[in-house]
Amino acid sequence: MIPKFDVLTPEQVKQVHEQSMKILNEIGVEFSYQPALDVLKAKGQKVEGQRVYFQRQFVEEQVATAPAEFTLHARNPQNNLVVGGENIIFMPGYGSPFIHEVDGTRRNSNMNDFDNFVKLAQMSPNMHMTGGNVAEPNDVPDSIRHLKMVYSAIKHSDKCFMGSASGYDKAKDTIEMTAILFGGKDVIKKNPALICLVNSVTPLKYDDRMLGGLMAYAETGQAMVIASLVMAGSTGPATMAGALALQNAEVLAGIALAQSINPGTPVVYGSTSAITDMQTGSLSIGNPEGALFTSASAQLARFYDVPSRGGGGLNDAKIVDAQAGYESMMTLMAASVTGINFVLHTAGILQYFMAMSYEKFIVDDEIAGMLLRYLKGIEFSDDNFAFDVIKKVGPGGHFLTQKHTRKNHATELRQATLSDRLSYDGWGKESLDTNKRAERKWKAMLAEYQAPELDSKVNQTLQSFIEKRTSELKG
Amino acid sequence: MSDIFENLKQAILDGDEDLVVEYAQQVIDEKIDPTVAIQQGLIKGIEELGAKWKVGEAFLPDVMMGADALKAGLDMLEPVIAASGKTVSESKGKIIVGQVAGDIHDIGKNIVGALMTAAGYKVYDIGIDQPSENFLAKAEEVGASIIAAGALLTTTMAAQKNIIEYLKTKNVREKYKVMIGGGPTSQAFADEIGADAWAETADEAVSLCRKLIAG
Repeated sequence: MIPKFDVLTPEQVKQVHEQSMKILNEIGVEFSYQPALDVLKAKGQKVEGQRVYFQRQFVEEQVATAPAEFTLHARNPQNNLVVGGENIIFMPGYGSPFIHEVDGTRRNSNMNDFDNFVKLAQMSPNMHMTGGNVAEPNDVPDSIRHLKMVYSAIKHSDKCFMGSASGYDKAKDTIEMTAILFGGKDVIKKNPALICLVNSVTPLKYDDRMLGGLMAYAETGQAMVIASLVMAGSTGPATMAGALALQNAEVLAGIALAQSINPGTPVVYGSTSAITDMQTGSLSIGNPEGALFTSASAQLARFYDVPSRGGGGLNDAKIVDAQAGYESMMTLMAASVTGINFVLHTAGILQYFMAMSYEKFIVDDEIAGMLLRYLKGIEFSDDNFAFDVIKKVGPGGHFLTQKHTRKNHATELRQATLSDRLSYDGWGKESLDTNKRAERKWKAMLAEYQAPELDSKVNQTLQSFIEKRTSELKG
Repeated sequence: MSDIFENLKQAILDGDEDLVVEYAQQVIDEKIDPTVAIQQGLIKGIEELGAKWKVGEAFLPDVMMGADALKAGLDMLEPVIAASGKTVSESKGKIIVGQVAGDIHDIGKNIVGALMTAAGYKVYDIGIDQPSENFLAKAEEVGASIIAAGALLTTTMAAQKNIIEYLKTKNVREKYKVMIGGGPTSQAFADEIGADAWAETADEAVSLCRKLIAG
């Protein structure tokens, strides 16, 4: 692993912390969920209406009880993931309601798309887990979407996955299903197997839906990403220092709540802060400011000694074009080289989280593969210095027929899986651009997909649980 | 006298609500014709600002603060016109703007409201997390012709449909044009729920107002 670089000085990190403490204490955060207010009140925090004014010492103590790293368990233990430390975890995009097709047309995403992205993530060596809401299944009634999504993640993959945080009851359902898969709630309480995404509503609010999710996960010892997305210029100050302090205050308030409910709850410090396009007011995520927010967040998380989440293949393009590529590479590379641990939205995103694209998924998968190689760095050993081979070949020779080359090239020199490295004539046989090559690749992958085996008893129990809940929720 | 109109116009361009209030007070104190002050000052300012925004010379904070300043000026001068027995010159149309029940996302709706104001419409912003009844109640109260409802979440989009259904149950569906917008919405969704118009951006929403009111 290469050393991670910092974008803030240690003094600047402390300044952000001081500003956030001031925000939490003097301005406070609004929680529109009574059980959350009760918890914080019981811990001695000043509550006025729905607004909580935090004591500095309380926040610092609570954040200190969060683990520096934790293991997220997969049904195939080989796919267990350590969240934190030097590790980086890639997964598909999250929550997009649309699919952008290869020709740029747009349609609603559906359950079939959800299944497909889980399958692609299962197959990709660069995706460490399948993620959560990989494509909003618009064709499934909202009341039971969470059941269908978690079941798809369980059935189509044996990697780690995310569950619903859409209110207390839906969160409980996904925790219940995960418990069935792993053999009981006690098992997953000891070995967390589910992680969810809790978002603040910037500026300085948490809504009842997210807080319900947060409480359900904290109570059962499951993990959560607590994230803030400040849109500098609209939901936060246009100045990045202020936006960062605001984001930090929100995330710390969420972490403090989670730790108050269950000390030691595995949490990830999350940031998706970005900017507002000041002409139209829309969110814009594929830019240097967003990359700086991501990098600064990695550093803040290190300061608080918790894992971090940020970045991704983030961009504002509508189709897989040069903009999609260069913006995504910048944002994913910034996350990777500054030490982000958990990268939601690594693959598939177009148009500031609004759309998933199969072709973009394949492009991002290639970018992810390139970055995983980059992060490994240059390995130093006597054999890698290859003095004897250089001596043997001597001036003017070549290395192509050396055993040392044959032995080492595959591990040292990454083979591209999407990029075209052919000659002009080689490329010219079909003249396919990246978008078209990506389309060909995902279709081939899905054609080859094979489901990992799922214990038939577990499968039956899951299905009867879904049937039971479906009739309850629809009735 | 042209100075005061110029000052009003410039205060709108600068998005300076305090100055607009100060100059509007001067108009009242010095018994300057408020109708002319609105036309030559406030409206000229907002029109110039809108034009600058279109070509990328002005940005959202300019337009939104200009719209706020315009509203402050109109709130002071229109009662004076009404008190003198004259009729206040009609706006291009009245629009109810709000975020649907269960949705607390404020900003997109505010941008839409400001751009509509800047385009010369009278906008009534009823706020966030508003049930269908409140959209209709306000529309009835002020005699609006358009109801514009925003939703940012896939989980709150259904409330846009509820508004349309509610209008039907009250037998007033034909009385209002319903416009929807917000991240997860689409033309297909608007068609499905029977909305009259859908816009992806605030700018498009303003263009649609023109069409809806003309049609």
